[in-house]
Amino acid sequence: MGGKKHPSGTPTCCCCPEPSVIYQQHSQRHLCSTHFIHDVEERVVQGIENNAMIRPNDRIAVALSGGKDSTALLLLLAHQLKRWRDVSLVAVTVDEGIEGYRNETIKAAGQVAEKVGVEHHIISFQDLFGDSLDILLKGREEQACTVCGILRKKALSEAAKKNGATRIATGHNLDDEAQSVLMNVLRGDLPRLVRDSAADTSDRFLPRIKPLAEIPEKEIASYLFIKGMFLLLPECPYTRFALRGDVRSMLSGLEHRNPGTMLRLMESKKTIGKYLAGSSVSDPLRRCRQCGDPCSGDSCQVCRLRQSLGR
Amino acid sequence: MKIILPDQGILVIDRSPASVEQILSDLGINPLEVIISRNGTLVPEDTIVEADDEIRIIRISHGG
Repeated sequence: MGGKKHPSGTPTCCCCPEPSVIYQQHSQRHLCSTHFIHDVEERVVQGIENNAMIRPNDRIAVALSGGKDSTALLLLLAHQLKRWRDVSLVAVTVDEGIEGYRNETIKAAGQVAEKVGVEHHIISFQDLFGDSLDILLKGREEQACTVCGILRKKALSEAAKKNGATRIATGHNLDDEAQSVLMNVLRGDLPRLVRDSAADTSDRFLPRIKPLAEIPEKEIASYLFIKGMFLLLPECPYTRFALRGDVRSMLSGLEHRNPGTMLRLMESKKTIGKYLAGSSVSDPLRRCRQCGDPCSGDSCQVCRLRQSLGR
Repeated sequence: MKIILPDQGILVIDRSPASVEQILSDLGINPLEVIISRNGTLVPEDTIVEADDEIRIIRISHGG
């Protein structure tokens, strides 16, 4: 850090005389609000283009929970949309049915979609699976994130297909991605560690893209704060059951003491993927006997889960 | 200086000038898990704050 101080006591921007709003550890630069917003938007666009995440005529379903990451994603894609030919957006919110939590975030999601003029659809667990998550989890709350993750993914795919989407965009940031790498290592789940949800462009999956995957969480929050869109929203009541919470604290502590830890974890994942390219670390894809969705066994995760829930 | 904590609690400390980084360290807060505003404007952690500043510490990492 360091650098020349503005009279306000804040270091000046590396690109102009304005006071900075952030110090970027990875670029070792102080940036003012104007240059920071420009920097984030350009990095996201570069990431999209370098990885061919968006193609002409795509209709992108943006998974919009109403939280900060998906809000930033929708804002950014809506503002940059003119860069891509004949591409349209539709925002999709999954209402899991979590008392005291979801109503507020759904309201926030509706407001942001309206602000950027993007069509917004809500799909609920109640309509799709017959009950809210709160009801489905009675007596098995410690499995909340697993159950919710499987059903939410299904709900999102259904809503995206129903609205004519060709891709699903999610707001996963660098911290989320690094946490997932570490969680898969801790679980010993090699197939999931190397899986690339955007790589399969066949008709079996709707490809998923993660345009914010190289942007640290702190930069996403700063981006929204500067845009006047950062909201303090309630925390999911099931978070306390999640392994992710422990991994998040551990990893952010490591990143603070050893800057670059998260990026190195992502590099490790890519390296492992390269070594394993062409080898089969998971069972070949088949069709679920019950619903016909792609899966690696006889039944897909959703059908197995529904069976265990008695639905 | 008035500090608004992530849980909305208010702390008044008599320590200025001080860097935001020092304040967070004294409070045991990881700077990567929060953003900081001074008098409503976002600032980096190496900002020097003064006695009449209002500092808000906003937690960014939580599940959901």
